[in-house]
Amino acid sequence: MTSFDLVEPETLEDAFKWLGVDDSSVRPFGGGTALMLMMKAQLFTPVRLVSLRKLGRQFEGIERSSNDGSFRIGAMTTFSQLEHSPEIRAHLPVITQTMKTLANVRVRNVATVGGNLAHGDPHLDLPPVWMALDASATIVNSSGTRTIPVGDIFSGYYETTLEQGDLIAELRVPVRPGWRSRYIKVTTRAEHDWPALGIGLSLHAEGRVIKDLRIVLSAAIDKPTRLIGAENVLRGKEIDDALLKRAGEAAADETHIETDNRGSAPYKKHLLRVHIARAVSALVTE
Amino acid sequence: MDAVTASPNIGRSIPRLEANDKVTGRIEYIHHLRLPGMLYGKIFRSNVPHARIKSVDVSAAEAVEGVFQVVTIDDIRKVIPHPYYGPAFHDQPILADGKVRFAGEPVAVVLATDKRIAEQAAALIVAEYEDLPGVFDEVDAMTSQTLVHDELKPAATFPDLQHLKGRKGTNIALDYHLVRGDVEEGFAKADHVFEHVFRTQQVMHTPMEPFVSVADAQDGSVTLHTASQGPSFVRIEIARLLGLPENRVRVRVPHLGGGFGGKLYIKLEALVTALSMVARRPVKIALTMEEQFFMVTRHPCTFTIKSGVNKDGRIIARHCEVVWNGGAYADIGPRVTQKAGFTSAGPYDIENVLIDSYAVYTNRPPCGALRGFGAPQTAWAYECHTDMIAEALGLDKIEFRRMNILREGRPQASGTPMVDAAVEQAMDHTLDLMNWKLPFDRGSGKIRRGRGVAIGFKGITAPTTSVAIVNLYGDGSCALYIGTVDMGQGSDTVMAQIAAEVLNIDPAAIKIIHPDTDVTPYDMGTLGSRSTYHMGTAVRLAAEDAKAKIAALAAELGLPEGTNAPLAELLRRKYGMQAGNIIGTGSFIPDYQKPDTKTGQTIKGTPFWGVGASGAEVEVDTETGHFTITKLVNVADVGTAINPKMVLQQLSGAAIMQLGFTTTENMVFRDGQLTNGSLADYKIPNLLDMPREFINDYTQSRQKDGPFGAKGAGESTTIALSPAIGNAIADAIGLFLPDLPITPESIFRALQDANGTPLAGE
Repeated sequence: MTSFDLVEPETLEDAFKWLGVDDSSVRPFGGGTALMLMMKAQLFTPVRLVSLRKLGRQFEGIERSSNDGSFRIGAMTTFSQLEHSPEIRAHLPVITQTMKTLANVRVRNVATVGGNLAHGDPHLDLPPVWMALDASATIVNSSGTRTIPVGDIFSGYYETTLEQGDLIAELRVPVRPGWRSRYIKVTTRAEHDWPALGIGLSLHAEGRVIKDLRIVLSAAIDKPTRLIGAENVLRGKEIDDALLKRAGEAAADETHIETDNRGSAPYKKHLLRVHIARAVSALVTE
Repeated sequence: MDAVTASPNIGRSIPRLEANDKVTGRIEYIHHLRLPGMLYGKIFRSNVPHARIKSVDVSAAEAVEGVFQVVTIDDIRKVIPHPYYGPAFHDQPILADGKVRFAGEPVAVVLATDKRIAEQAAALIVAEYEDLPGVFDEVDAMTSQTLVHDELKPAATFPDLQHLKGRKGTNIALDYHLVRGDVEEGFAKADHVFEHVFRTQQVMHTPMEPFVSVADAQDGSVTLHTASQGPSFVRIEIARLLGLPENRVRVRVPHLGGGFGGKLYIKLEALVTALSMVARRPVKIALTMEEQFFMVTRHPCTFTIKSGVNKDGRIIARHCEVVWNGGAYADIGPRVTQKAGFTSAGPYDIENVLIDSYAVYTNRPPCGALRGFGAPQTAWAYECHTDMIAEALGLDKIEFRRMNILREGRPQASGTPMVDAAVEQAMDHTLDLMNWKLPFDRGSGKIRRGRGVAIGFKGITAPTTSVAIVNLYGDGSCALYIGTVDMGQGSDTVMAQIAAEVLNIDPAAIKIIHPDTDVTPYDMGTLGSRSTYHMGTAVRLAAEDAKAKIAALAAELGLPEGTNAPLAELLRRKYGMQAGNIIGTGSFIPDYQKPDTKTGQTIKGTPFWGVGASGAEVEVDTETGHFTITKLVNVADVGTAINPKMVLQQLSGAAIMQLGFTTTENMVFRDGQLTNGSLADYKIPNLLDMPREFINDYTQSRQKDGPFGAKGAGESTTIALSPAIGNAIADAIGLFLPDLPITPESIFRALQDANGTPLAGE
């Protein structure tokens, strides 16, 4: 690792000034956990790193709207803060559940919600969960603010739609009455491995009839992706084994899964079929 | 408990002597060492597995501010004219010499005043290669026209490897043979003949403390500060390379953060010595965790095992053909081939045995010793094979073992009798801890449960020597000078307990003088479960020598025999003040008979036997192949447990390590390139991977000629663990898996194949 400049702006104006150069070796960071690994491996050699930790209120906090009950989560919120928030536990329990198998205490104490999304690593656990929850992200830059669905941040393997000078400021997460959610982390080597596949699942069921749902796959593909085909098989239907099997087939058909050290493509497709069926069935009968 | 545990120091779980300094961060590791004027080296490595080097352009690296020099083999040759080293063959160049033989081989080193500058500059080196065809698989290498080495260069350093010649014009570094009876005749007479092929994968030691060495060369002498398991060997080999007498080479070793066989023989030591001579400055190289994959690993192996069995279940003939993938440099691979070779028929009493064991060169990172010297790879084959035969013949798997097990006093395949080897006892204790006789829930629906047992043994490297010095000072306090390296196994504490027992003093008050070849006497190395037995005996002899000298001093002073006058008082009387020393020395080499080179027969091929038994219960999700080890039991014969708590820590540590090699760890290569060379992608087990029930224990037994009945304990629970799990999986799903590691995908594929609906390839 070679030397670089580290700046900690206290205003957005200063942050944009430091970031406003056409140079990919000038990067913003939240907790820096992923960035440090890339720097140690010499995959990334920064010239300047811009810490977002002093940007203040807009980037911090977990708050519930008094109107619709939705959450506003500042991008610099650490995973530990999410993990230990009683409000999150009460209204978005899937986030608390996901934290148990996400990295380790040291990483969760430092890593941030925004940095996790901006990293664009398809193996991360939270992006498919945010997507299944219909979360959106507010992005600020020197010319304004825009709000997009979390899924629109990702454009490919470690690639995002964020431009130089864009900063994720906060997430908006609706609380949808009647919906239940779950994250399925499937590992194939050590328990604590990166997932071979991650499935973010969220659904609204009445009895065994699925009124609406979101299925998001990560890790086995180049970016977290909604499985629209599988959702369509299930939406509005009463589940049974045959339907779950068809949903699994649809999921396997609509994804391009690559072989890697966590499993061959045919095996991971098989796991996708099995775990979609199991998870939907478990959530419906929960 | 053993009778000897009544003594004050033996069989007592005293705390580790260094525990306080370790947990308060005060213990010395070489990683912390900085010498005045020291340069940091960063290695530039080849990115091709087999090639001639056309050019190495170091100009951009040398232009970086803060770079002292960039060194290649041409610079090294100016200070060391024959820059090749190795314990079995002098086959490894200090830096690549005209050719690279594996992807990751050191080609050049940047020396800089700052390690970050060195790292940055190393990335600017450009090498051009002319690719050569590579050979990666051990079976291919047996017959391949692609030769990894054009010339084989035996080292002849160790007595057990003096016959090494290698086979000219092949990749075979060593072939070892053992012949007992007539195996062909045995097969002809047998009612049934079974043949199976098993494979194990390449894995890595992964010590928490990566390799690190510092050399400080002066004119005509050199001091090495190094994380090594074998300081005496380092001194001998560096002295040979430099043409110096041993007394001009000083090797210092403080504590190690793990070794597991990786830090044996020469690793970074030759390189830092050469660099220090070139630069005329002290030089340090500390590897990253990731670079360790390119230093030394465990041999993959392909084992074809064939057995002739009578209808009553007696095994009457066995042929073992074991091919060991040694990687690009032999390291200690030939000893692995030989040591694991000679026990590869298993702990069974078989009349006709033929063993052919081959160490071959390939274009992979070098392979050496790793906690078991090959015994775990061979046990994987012979113990899965045992269950497969029993299954095919409809025999009870335990009774089949019992019918064939090697009992006390019977000759093992080499002709060396089994003495003080509690094989059956270890199996029985395992069965007890498994509640084997109770009904077993076999699961239902998609969840299938199974259980399995395996036994195994190993011979110990022989003949090897340990020398110890006990120094009692003027006030009666005691220091122990030993070359044994405490790398976490607790040898400092155990050696202190042995000396304390003889001298009747408090072990916690003894100071251990850590290996420093200027001060501590010779020891062959901290390896292969040998220290407690070999060094322990040398320490006992040294303490007894000191005790005899104290008695002689008392007699000289006219005191009655058996006087209880303290030593400090005796020395004060002799010298008139607090002065003088009592120095006791002890040297130990066990009996040994060199095996016949053609038949491998010897009446004393090993000083003692390492013995382990394991049992596993598993739960398999047959829809995904995912499995959980619900119970794991490991039992070792360690003779007397001198420090029971530390013995159990050793047994559990070895078991967890082998659990990784059984289920999660695998160095994956594509075209000779390692594709998962980081701990993010090479998975060692962590707490979440521990079996739900995890029991480690030892038999109540005694190694009669060991110190206070003790023998080694570091490797025993690595031996039988993999096949116990493999056999449990087979019991659950009805299918045997021949290859390690066992993964959910390998289980699922086996199930699909058996169902006639094979899963597509990649």
